[in-house]
Amino acid sequence: MSWAASPAAAAGGAVREPPGQPGRRGRASAGPRAVRSVSGILSVVGALVIWLILLGPVITLFTHLSGSSIASSLTAPGALQPLVTSLESGGVTLAVLFFFCTPLAWMLARGTLPFPRIWEAGVLCSLLLPPLVIGLLLVFMVGPYTAFGGLIAHLNLSATNTFLALVIAEVYESAPYYVLGAQAAFASVDPRLEQQAALLGDRPRRVFRRVTLPLASPGLAMALAVAWARAMGAFGAVIVIAYHPYGLPLQIWTTLQETGLASALPFALVLLVVALPLPLAAYVWSARAQSRRRG
Amino acid sequence: MLRADVEVDRRDFTVRAAIEVAAGERLALFGPSGAGKTTLLEAIAGLVQPRAGLIELADRTLTRTTAPRVLVPAWQRRVGLLRQDPGLFPHLSVRDNLAYARSADPRGTELAEVARALEIGELLDAMPARLSGGQQHRTALARLLLARFDALLLDEPYSGLDAVLRRTLTALVVRLVTERAVPSVLVAHELADAQSFADRMAVLDQGEILQVGEPDQVVLRPCSARVAELVGYLGFAPVPGRPGVLAGVHPERIAAGAAPERGLVLTGRVAGSRPAGAAWEADLLLPDSGQDGALSQQAVRGRDGRPGLAATVTCRLADRPGADGDTMTVTVLDPPCFSQDGDAVDGHVREGSRP
Repeated sequence: MSWAASPAAAAGGAVREPPGQPGRRGRASAGPRAVRSVSGILSVVGALVIWLILLGPVITLFTHLSGSSIASSLTAPGALQPLVTSLESGGVTLAVLFFFCTPLAWMLARGTLPFPRIWEAGVLCSLLLPPLVIGLLLVFMVGPYTAFGGLIAHLNLSATNTFLALVIAEVYESAPYYVLGAQAAFASVDPRLEQQAALLGDRPRRVFRRVTLPLASPGLAMALAVAWARAMGAFGAVIVIAYHPYGLPLQIWTTLQETGLASALPFALVLLVVALPLPLAAYVWSARAQSRRRG
Repeated sequence: MLRADVEVDRRDFTVRAAIEVAAGERLALFGPSGAGKTTLLEAIAGLVQPRAGLIELADRTLTRTTAPRVLVPAWQRRVGLLRQDPGLFPHLSVRDNLAYARSADPRGTELAEVARALEIGELLDAMPARLSGGQQHRTALARLLLARFDALLLDEPYSGLDAVLRRTLTALVVRLVTERAVPSVLVAHELADAQSFADRMAVLDQGEILQVGEPDQVVLRPCSARVAELVGYLGFAPVPGRPGVLAGVHPERIAAGAAPERGLVLTGRVAGSRPAGAAWEADLLLPDSGQDGALSQQAVRGRDGRPGLAATVTCRLADRPGADGDTMTVTVLDPPCFSQDGDAVDGHVREGSRP
């Protein structure tokens, strides 16, 4: 979770800089210096190879797609419904995370909770649970024959194979990523800046709005983006508790089962196209926010 | 008038201190690192909560732990705090930093005025990361001025800067504090910083105020051997003819040659010398004193507040001392005297000398 720590490191590091030495100079000169020697060239080539291997799946996807196959898959009747379902459930999931998990992340970062280690261990525990296990346990927790299931049955709701179930599964799969990312984002804000804002006359809520949130926002955006990608790709818990309504991952799975690899591939592209732009936008935005701070 | 009489619990000890600063007065809290100076400032600023005590500023009660209890939150105290880190908001331009406080003049005429006075008028649109250390501190100071504080607390704000800049900024703060007639408290662990700022100095150690007085009085007449150590006395030497009395030896309060009418004359051998600034620093090895039997070859540091006897005395001399092993006589100018228990003893050491 190091992405959120970087804004403060950049801002804090710049403060201690001697005058007339902009922060970017050190980084800019690192590139050419690495290329100058043989070992430098080797390390750049090595890094490039690893980078290409990591990107391999994406490259493969584009080499195996043809325009006609995309068109025929996407124009089949009902082909786009899972996309809509995924976008809707993902949006609701993000809203839930933002409103309920942001305060938790803030309290974790500031250490205002008693026994902070236990709280953190709890979040880590949900991160380490395999999604499939989460799905199984969710059935026993919110299924129709449980207390919760009975309670929402009075409202004519059900938490199995419904949109609600899909959202619950996605929240469970993405929440720990968001909480840990947001915690790191808040932890990167120097508490002394918040104290300074308070001494300048701002009550805590105003300090949060004017100082904490803007300073943590690049990290928060990245955490939300990661959570979005997790929610879009949620499969393990979803297949157990929310087989219907179909989201994109399940559509890929069933297409793969029923008609084979070739027809599943276009949906993989759709999933990527839907899941990636938000993280990329968040990345670009946080990079711009940081460069603006450098002046 | 700022009045604070508080007990603040810390992990290692409890800070028990009472200070009183008149409007326009500048008090320096001097003491070693970890003496509780910053804790005291933070209690006044409302950042830490004292276990017991009373803090009053002008006619407002900021903290009172007896009934009726009062704890004014930090954002209503109107107390300015400057730290070593200027604490500028990195996501706001200099102008937005200056105008941060709600009480800052919204039309910006005062902002422009203060920015010009502090020589940051050209930088209003820059981001803080672009500023030099001195400019950042000027901006932090200007921001405080625009926020209209009733007291100014300085927590070693300029200790990371070079000497010239430190002097300029300190002089600037002194001028502004005097102009606005607010009480101000500076925390310092460098004696020179405390002296250049304050017109009164309090020596703090282990959470307790040991002595309060004018800076030169505290340095020349420390009230105990511990205070003497803190303000730079490096050793203690017995005073001939006054058994049980020890004279504090400050390396900068030493003149070459014997001048019994000016203080305590010490004779010994040069054990080493080195250049120190524009002067020389020499270690003077004192002979074993047979009559007192108290001097050992090893330097003894004061413990439990009792002065320890020094076998070598460090002196600052304008002229280069002789070679190692040469005999040298120096005069410790009008040294403060202490009993064996470390308490200050009245009387001057003059016209006495040691064999």
